[in-house]
Amino acid sequence: MEGAWRTMNLLAVVDASIKKEGLQDLTMQRTVSSVPFAGRYRLIDFTLSNLVNSGVSTVGVFPSYPLASLLDHIGVGKSWDLDRRKNGLYFLPVTQRDGGISSVGAFAGLEEHLQFFTKSSQPYVIVTNSFIVTQLDYKDMFEKHIKSGADFTEAISKGVQLKTYILSKELLIELIQTYQDKQVVSVEDVVNLKKSPYTFNEYEYKGYFAVIDSIQSYFEASMDLLNEDKREQLFLENRPIFTKVKDEPPTRYVSGSHVERALIANGSTIVGDVIDSLISRGVYIKKGARVENCIIMQKSTVEENCDLAYVIADKDVYIGEGVVLHGTPERPIVLRKGANVTKEDIR
Amino acid sequence: MNNKVVAMLLAGGQGSRLKSLTYTIAKPALPFGGKYRIIDFPLSNCTNSGIETVGVLTQYQPHVLHSYIGLGTPWDLDRRNGGVTMLPPYAEIDGNKWYAGTASAIYQNITFLQSCDPEYVLILSGDHIYKMDYEVLVDYHKAHEADVTISVLEVPWEEASRFGIINVDENMKVLEFDEKPENPKSNLASMGVYIFTWKKLKEYLEADNLNEESSHDFGHDILPAMMDNGDKMIAYPFKGYWKDVGTVDSFWEANMDLLDLNSGLNLHDSGWRIYSSNPQLPPQVINKTGNVQSSMVNEGCVISGDVTKSIIFQKVVIEEGAVISESVIMSGVTIHKGAKLHRVIVPPQFEVPEGFEVVDQQDKVVLLTDEEVEKWKERGER
Repeated sequence: MEGAWRTMNLLAVVDASIKKEGLQDLTMQRTVSSVPFAGRYRLIDFTLSNLVNSGVSTVGVFPSYPLASLLDHIGVGKSWDLDRRKNGLYFLPVTQRDGGISSVGAFAGLEEHLQFFTKSSQPYVIVTNSFIVTQLDYKDMFEKHIKSGADFTEAISKGVQLKTYILSKELLIELIQTYQDKQVVSVEDVVNLKKSPYTFNEYEYKGYFAVIDSIQSYFEASMDLLNEDKREQLFLENRPIFTKVKDEPPTRYVSGSHVERALIANGSTIVGDVIDSLISRGVYIKKGARVENCIIMQKSTVEENCDLAYVIADKDVYIGEGVVLHGTPERPIVLRKGANVTKEDIR
Repeated sequence: MNNKVVAMLLAGGQGSRLKSLTYTIAKPALPFGGKYRIIDFPLSNCTNSGIETVGVLTQYQPHVLHSYIGLGTPWDLDRRNGGVTMLPPYAEIDGNKWYAGTASAIYQNITFLQSCDPEYVLILSGDHIYKMDYEVLVDYHKAHEADVTISVLEVPWEEASRFGIINVDENMKVLEFDEKPENPKSNLASMGVYIFTWKKLKEYLEADNLNEESSHDFGHDILPAMMDNGDKMIAYPFKGYWKDVGTVDSFWEANMDLLDLNSGLNLHDSGWRIYSSNPQLPPQVINKTGNVQSSMVNEGCVISGDVTKSIIFQKVVIEEGAVISESVIMSGVTIHKGAKLHRVIVPPQFEVPEGFEVVDQQDKVVLLTDEEVEKWKERGER
């Protein structure tokens, strides 16, 4: 089949419904897929960007609840050029279920949007997730899938499953219609069980990746980005990571500031000391404050003379004057979205 | 009553005193303030003032401006009704209609204006840095039942002879209009921001078009004619930051003003945002050897050198040991190891060689050019 591997023949399912218990502090008001990452991104940006950079232009996003933050972030897919007349981005929420299924590509959810598959023209489907940060080239993976002749191809890196699969649409539809009889719950499940009579192929991905499934892995992956070697594997000139843009002015460094080894997004004002840390958009680090080994998210304020180490401050957190908070690399302190922390609270 | 205001933004200026910075782009397209272009200021002012119909008149090197403004999306001007319309000069059956002056530029787009059916027309210039609520100006114009209102600001007396000076009575009625007077009678300078009642403006534009003696300019022809005929001309005193970035020095100064919290040009004011295109770039990185003081830095930069009192645009790389002070470094510039720049404007995509130095120019601002770098190499300093 000449050119069958061309990514215009590929339809994407982004399973943004996976819950990670370990990330609960960051997911009280959002899905795992919309957890902020690397100063200006959300986790799902990496998957969506890889898809469009690989030439995939029909993308179904299956979100979990609460979905307002994800919906607000991806909108009609404009930031990824997926706001198209033909194909583009489809937001496909599924009925809220207690507990839910935590494996990628759950058939119960896909079944609710069977039309998304039957109506589209692409003969192949990529089923992927939005909690693994990679620079995966789906085009290369698709090419290898076609060459292998297998029913399923799974992406693997250094023995770790990247929970990304390619199969034919015909097979996916068949599975959606018969999964209960076959006693499987998801695409991931079928691949893990190596369910007969199907054949399975592995695709080895060699680039940078991080699985974000706990506060520790989130913290480590974030800190990885301060390492030039790792950062350069993730942010590539010819395969950019797209996100919802904001009109923030450049970041302002006020006289007396001291910054050493930091990743800083636009719209921030730095007066104090920032060392080995990640600062998101619109953050204010005031005079005399010291922020070391921290992740400070969007629009948070660190007041004068604070001393923070190993702290993850979520969006809109206010840390009052003189607050001292020291976590450890193994157990960073998480301040939840909108928290207001003062010296009195800590005593 | 129709209260519709249409803004006409004059963006055809060459800006020749900005030298190589405007060889290939019109002055309004000149990058400013780390991520903006000058035209972002009047366009954002329109959006923030609730003006939804904007005509942008282009002429000199319009390509960058046209592709930059596009459908007007960054300023929320991509609208079904109104929005932004690009208005380059065009040919007609009786010949080419090059914009001879500010008034002829508006006259030649009279069909556009008529199709908008405005009550008031706001004339703006695309090469000034300021934040202004035009709605307040419109209200002022209405309250005074003026035919034209000119926005003015107080300039230092010693500089008044550089500007168009307006003399007013106690009710802000304009009595006299002095273009660059030797002995100014007031220090109220015209900002080049006018609001006209459209019916009145149309009469004057049509008459001016037929007048072969006219230079077809608002300041030289239209306003003096209105004055002579006794039409009601009022001055609106603007209080706030305003700068005409017409020269290399004033361009540098306006950039430096961004670093002065008392200058009145605060870009971090979320109540009056300046909108711009937002490239998809990762956050900036300040490395272990990097040091940034009293500066503004945009996304996509990697700073390993020493930066003080400077404006750094996107995708700038400053290597270890480089020392930058009081400078404006435009997008995509690489400054190699050990280079020293003091009061330098570095144009986009420039590569500053290792060890290159521009220091102590008796406080003069240097616009870096290829010739400058060649001369330095010939002197054998490297």
